Amino acid sequence: MPRYESDVCIIGGGISAAMLAQKLSELRPGIAITVVEAGRSLFDLEKRMDYRRRSLDYGENPWPGDFIEDQSAKGIISRTMAVGGSALHWGGTCNRFSEEDLRLKSMFGLATDWPIEWKQLEKYYCEAERRLGVSGEPSPLPEDRASQPYPMAAMTLTHNLIELKKWAEKSGIPFWSTPQAKNTVAYDGRAKCIRCNTCAICPTGARYSPDFTFKRLLAQKKITLHDQTLIRKLVLHDTKSIVVAARGVNRARQDEPVEYRAPMFVVASGYAWTPHLLLLSRNSRFPDGLANKSGLVGKYMCGHSFRSAFIEIDAKIYPGMNEQHGLISRQYFRSKPDQPFVRHDLRIWESAAGHEPRVRSLDGKILLGDELLADWRNRAQRGTARVRGYVDTHPDRESSLTLDETARNRWGDPLPKIEHRLDPATLARQDRVREHMQGIFESLAKANNGKILSTSLGNYLDHPAGGCRMGDEPSSSVCDSYGQTHDHENLFVVGSPTLPTAGCTNGTLTFVALTLRSADRIARVRGARS
Amino acid sequence: MANRFEAWVRQYRPGAEMDHGYGVTRLRVKASSPAPAYLAQLELLHQPLADLDPSARRRAVEAALERANVRDLPRFPDGRHIISDLLSFYFHSSDANDLCYRAAIRRDSCRELEGSDNPPPPLNGAA
Repeated sequence: MPRYESDVCIIGGGISAAMLAQKLSELRPGIAITVVEAGRSLFDLEKRMDYRRRSLDYGENPWPGDFIEDQSAKGIISRTMAVGGSALHWGGTCNRFSEEDLRLKSMFGLATDWPIEWKQLEKYYCEAERRLGVSGEPSPLPEDRASQPYPMAAMTLTHNLIELKKWAEKSGIPFWSTPQAKNTVAYDGRAKCIRCNTCAICPTGARYSPDFTFKRLLAQKKITLHDQTLIRKLVLHDTKSIVVAARGVNRARQDEPVEYRAPMFVVASGYAWTPHLLLLSRNSRFPDGLANKSGLVGKYMCGHSFRSAFIEIDAKIYPGMNEQHGLISRQYFRSKPDQPFVRHDLRIWESAAGHEPRVRSLDGKILLGDELLADWRNRAQRGTARVRGYVDTHPDRESSLTLDETARNRWGDPLPKIEHRLDPATLARQDRVREHMQGIFESLAKANNGKILSTSLGNYLDHPAGGCRMGDEPSSSVCDSYGQTHDHENLFVVGSPTLPTAGCTNGTLTFVALTLRSADRIARVRGARS
Repeated sequence: MANRFEAWVRQYRPGAEMDHGYGVTRLRVKASSPAPAYLAQLELLHQPLADLDPSARRRAVEAALERANVRDLPRFPDGRHIISDLLSFYFHSSDANDLCYRAAIRRDSCRELEGSDNPPPPLNGAA
């Protein structure tokens, strides 16, 4: 069996792994870093314009081969498994959480506090924004003050967003440009955005994706990357509680068994595959899985619910100007302690909903040619806004990822099953939250002769996280605030799994910020040992 | 437009992976080519569409759509009927979007950020 040795073995090849590998290579030049990723490397920027075209014309996968057919999970929301992970096709939204997210228990008596101070996290937000290349405008709210400006000016608000902002702000709610990891000028060797309107497959590299970081690290010979290699088990020392090896299979070599040895292991495999690997690594001394003396590996799986509306308004909107960019309000990130708890962000995008071409009129008459066009034009005279609020919801302990013994991959490993459950306090305020959100949608609609076309509640928790939550107490958490597991001093988990709660806006920037903080600790520990 | 649709049919790839993006976890592949079904449908339309009377031709088209139970335009042509697929192909295009709004939005093109704060320019020759 091939055996590879390094100073740090990173398992997983998504955005957290990329940021960790990059920063470790800077902090500890010459350190041997191996990144092991189950999926393939899709380093084919030159083909992405063609992939984009096929996606637009045929609905084909713009990231061909970015999955492992039988490596699936019940309850997961993305199948992407490739070097770069879900951040290959993310929208690039880079919203910060707020201090309230870290102090839910002490401020509101809800869920739990994070074991980290806001000022500490804020410093790493700035670093994350610099490394990812975030364009944005500062929030005018003093509570959201950033200690460093965004590295790039905000994306130009299109005519559509200018119109939508004028409309929405009539309701008294301020909106501004959503920060994004998209270049408004050439940045860090990547091109300026040319508004292709297909950010899920950015054909130019203007939207950050981790493949760029990996390619650069490989070119500089700062890391070794083993893709198509699925780690199936972490192996403990015979007597000590330290991890000595990671064992898996090389899919590119007919599932050849392979072993990685290192004094330090970091699992950076996201909210699903990180707890899954720890549970799979159970042994006689840790029968419930590694890092799981607390019993909390795969518990407190979190995310946020979301409520959406399509609102028709009196505004001239031209669908297709830049559908991927939107407005955000942080007005409701705060919940007054003397008021019922409701926290959420509020987002607005251009939309063509309700104004698509149709082949039958409402009375069922078939429309063809000029009739169809006339019907379409008539309905498209008014604009549509897509409005959404990501609502702060908190997980129950039994919001879980478990091993599904009835579903196994080709190597015989049970696959994960994720079942989100909300805690009793969250469930108790559901009606109030619904009324609150409905009130906001109605206020927005009223502001300009608007009409709510539809409202909906998301049927899953978005921007999922958790499963290895951080905390100060080993009895109530899996790892500390740096991701160092309480049970194994040389085993870290980084990024999304460490979040105790998932906030009320997109999580990726927070996953990266926490990972960058972990990198500092890992570099220190590595330095002290060497 | 007919030529572009024909090219679309020729370049169709049965079995190609379909998008399984965020929130869509089921892996799916493109169905078999719609071309054989189109040929059969065209054969049936050949005679009625040869009629010189426009209203007769229209009735034939409507009857074909009724028989195929076409209720709406699919996002991508799906082989239900060549007429609805051709309508879908065109009316979901960036060009048709421009025609509807009488503006050069160029939804599916890569465009500079500069100037996007203004309304898109009027479409030359828009009806």
